[in-house]
Amino acid sequence: MPKIEFSQQLIVAVVFVLLFGGLSLFLPGFFHLENMIALLQSVAILGILGLGMAVIVIGRGVDLSMIAALAIPSALTLQLATSGVSPVLAVAAGFALAAAFGAVNGWLIAYAEVPPLFATLASGLFLAGMGQAWFFSIESVPLPDALEGLRVLGRGQTAGLPNSVLLLLIMSVLVWIYLRKLKLGAFTYAMGDNPRGARMAGLPVRPMVVLQYMMSAMIAAFAGLIMASSVGSMSTRIFNSTWIYDVILVVVLGGIGLSGGRGGVTNVLIGTALIGTLLNGLTIMDVSFPVQNLVKGFVLLAAIVIDSIANPRNEETAQQGDI
Amino acid sequence: MSQQPIIEMRDITVRYGSAVAIDGVSFDLRAGEIHALLGENGAGKSTLTKSMAGVVHPAEGQILLDGQPIAPGSPKEALHLGIAMVFQETSLVPTMTVGQNLFLGQEKMFNRLRGVNIAAQQFLQSLNFDVNPTATVDMLGAAKRQMVEIARAVLHKVRVIVFDEPTATLTPEEKQHFFALVKDLKKRGVSVVFISHALEEALAIADRITVLRDAKHVLTKPAQELDREAIVKAMIGRDLSNTFYGHKRGDEDSVRHEGKRVLSVQNLRMAGIVQNTSFSIFAGQVTGVFGLVGAGRTETFKIVSGALKRNWLHGGEIELNGHKVRYRTPAPAIRDGIAYVTEDRKVEGFFETMSPARNIHVGQLAKEPFWKMWVSRKAERILGQKWSEALNIKAVSRDVKVIELSGGNQQKVVIAKSLVQEPELIIFDEPTRGVDVGAIAEIHQLINRLADEGNAVVVISSYLPEVLALSDRILVARQGKVVEEFTAREADEKKIMYAAIH
Repeated sequence: MPKIEFSQQLIVAVVFVLLFGGLSLFLPGFFHLENMIALLQSVAILGILGLGMAVIVIGRGVDLSMIAALAIPSALTLQLATSGVSPVLAVAAGFALAAAFGAVNGWLIAYAEVPPLFATLASGLFLAGMGQAWFFSIESVPLPDALEGLRVLGRGQTAGLPNSVLLLLIMSVLVWIYLRKLKLGAFTYAMGDNPRGARMAGLPVRPMVVLQYMMSAMIAAFAGLIMASSVGSMSTRIFNSTWIYDVILVVVLGGIGLSGGRGGVTNVLIGTALIGTLLNGLTIMDVSFPVQNLVKGFVLLAAIVIDSIANPRNEETAQQGDI
Repeated sequence: MSQQPIIEMRDITVRYGSAVAIDGVSFDLRAGEIHALLGENGAGKSTLTKSMAGVVHPAEGQILLDGQPIAPGSPKEALHLGIAMVFQETSLVPTMTVGQNLFLGQEKMFNRLRGVNIAAQQFLQSLNFDVNPTATVDMLGAAKRQMVEIARAVLHKVRVIVFDEPTATLTPEEKQHFFALVKDLKKRGVSVVFISHALEEALAIADRITVLRDAKHVLTKPAQELDREAIVKAMIGRDLSNTFYGHKRGDEDSVRHEGKRVLSVQNLRMAGIVQNTSFSIFAGQVTGVFGLVGAGRTETFKIVSGALKRNWLHGGEIELNGHKVRYRTPAPAIRDGIAYVTEDRKVEGFFETMSPARNIHVGQLAKEPFWKMWVSRKAERILGQKWSEALNIKAVSRDVKVIELSGGNQQKVVIAKSLVQEPELIIFDEPTRGVDVGAIAEIHQLINRLADEGNAVVVISSYLPEVLALSDRILVARQGKVVEEFTAREADEKKIMYAAIH
């Protein structure tokens, strides 16, 4: 139903414009250069995470372990660099951990056939617990001087645009190329559309699942590096936050159906813009954290209800346990 | 049978989005009659009856029950009015017992299982149905499930029952039993609407027959005034003498002789379903595989194509062109040139959100070597065009999604998706199920052409005329095993049926 998909995108875009305009007019301090930069930066990391989640959701999965994959590998990089390992090696080690973690997720889902919801919930807990228990002596790992070069990622500006926003755009292009120009992307859509059909057509369904979860974990680790460089440290406590819901919010709100096979990069960007503005506005208005959660919860529910109406699940191919 | 209509539908129009599923159709049902509703796929048979049963809501028109206008908003409301529909997919709860299903929605506040079972037992016996009320529904076969559905409808004291393709999944004996049930319902004064593809069944059992074509009403006549040719003509709007089903290829010239042995299966086993079956498939001819539902035909060929796995121990051997093969997934089988065209295209066949061209392209991408990563939309368009022309796939526009095509065109897309992988052994499982009459002829021509080009072609079908019309060689399966082999010349319906049943 292209009409409804389109109109959902359009609704979200219109809501975004209204919200942005309203906030600019009535909220002092919103339409400020500093605030805009803060907004774009907060949105940038969410958007990058949303891109990773989009790949998973289009392939009819979900990855609840993205925040763990954001925090632990990047904290490991910082920790290694602090303890004197060369920066290149430290970064490589972080990404290697993320890749291995994604591969485990993928293996659990594709080969052990654990529903993605449970597999990633448990594996995220495991990774966060492992990081907190073994790797790091303190909860917040500071960015060491050896990694000063990384500051460019989160803090620098290029032609007036914060580098993190630039990185979001670069990642968007890369994910777009994956989804639309590479064979693997076509396979991802096919698997999300009809997993059994994809298997019968001879697609390497199981390796593809592993690859997708590796991608989302590595994208999350990359987002973690950007975050560490902009904040100056990486708190492993972030795992306990409700961030993962924001990521799902971005994806669903943008119009990527949870039933798989639909949507793309544009949807992520639209969803990111809306959520970023909403959260930023709420923060400036000094809305308390519980009320913010209330608003987010309401928006997420509304988005999921609209999603299930616009993209109804195919009862014949739906499986128990997936969402 | 009185002449007074119990239900009268006037000028019903139903739209799904912009598509018209039913266009100003009038239909009436008399008390105590069996009324067969016939037509090609997509003619609007199901939609018409669904609007009667409250599943869909007509945009225009009127439904009268005993002369009073009604507008059932849901199946539940329709049931209260005395109209029940037995769907192709049964609406029973599989994990509940027969008794629980019978009384579902009518339970007392404090429900005693024992009470339910006794009441169900008495009720089933009064209908003379041999179903154990304490058995869970998922343990029952298709025929018994249907009995439970009928019993439930009778329990609700319905006056109208709609059967949507009730005999599709039944064996011949079960069909006879089903017809007896329907006649019994008629004696009780219940009116029956009977949607079917099987013309002979409709002619044998119905009092009146209505034919729909392209969402429009074509004719309504007493069954004794009609015959097979008249109905087919009404269904497709033209004469279709002997271009499809109904003539067997027995004459010496048209039978293809076997080429080299492509596939050899020895003592294949899969727990409980495929039991020690052995056979060979040869190039350059069509091998028909006939059997009743549950004979293990689909499973056998799914093992060959890698979709299912045989037993690990004593699973038997499969040789493809003289080499032993054992596939864990369909991908390597496809690389080796085996294509399996599924019987259930919606679940295992096409990708519904994609265009026909994209579907076919995905098939091609799956076969290409792994390092060819870049996808060309132009190549996809050309590919889509080429196969649309080759198989006469009709789509409103290039970007239309497969799910919006007719059953025949969907099937052609699924076939193209496999053919693009350049197979040498092509297995068609029920290639014309849910396919309109015109497309059946085209698909049959295609199957013949593939065999003429030297491919090994297997056609699994539950429809005997199709097997006889297509096959150069016929294998008959029974209880997980190929039990009999015929050449096209020696085969006839009786011999094949005898082998399949006894």
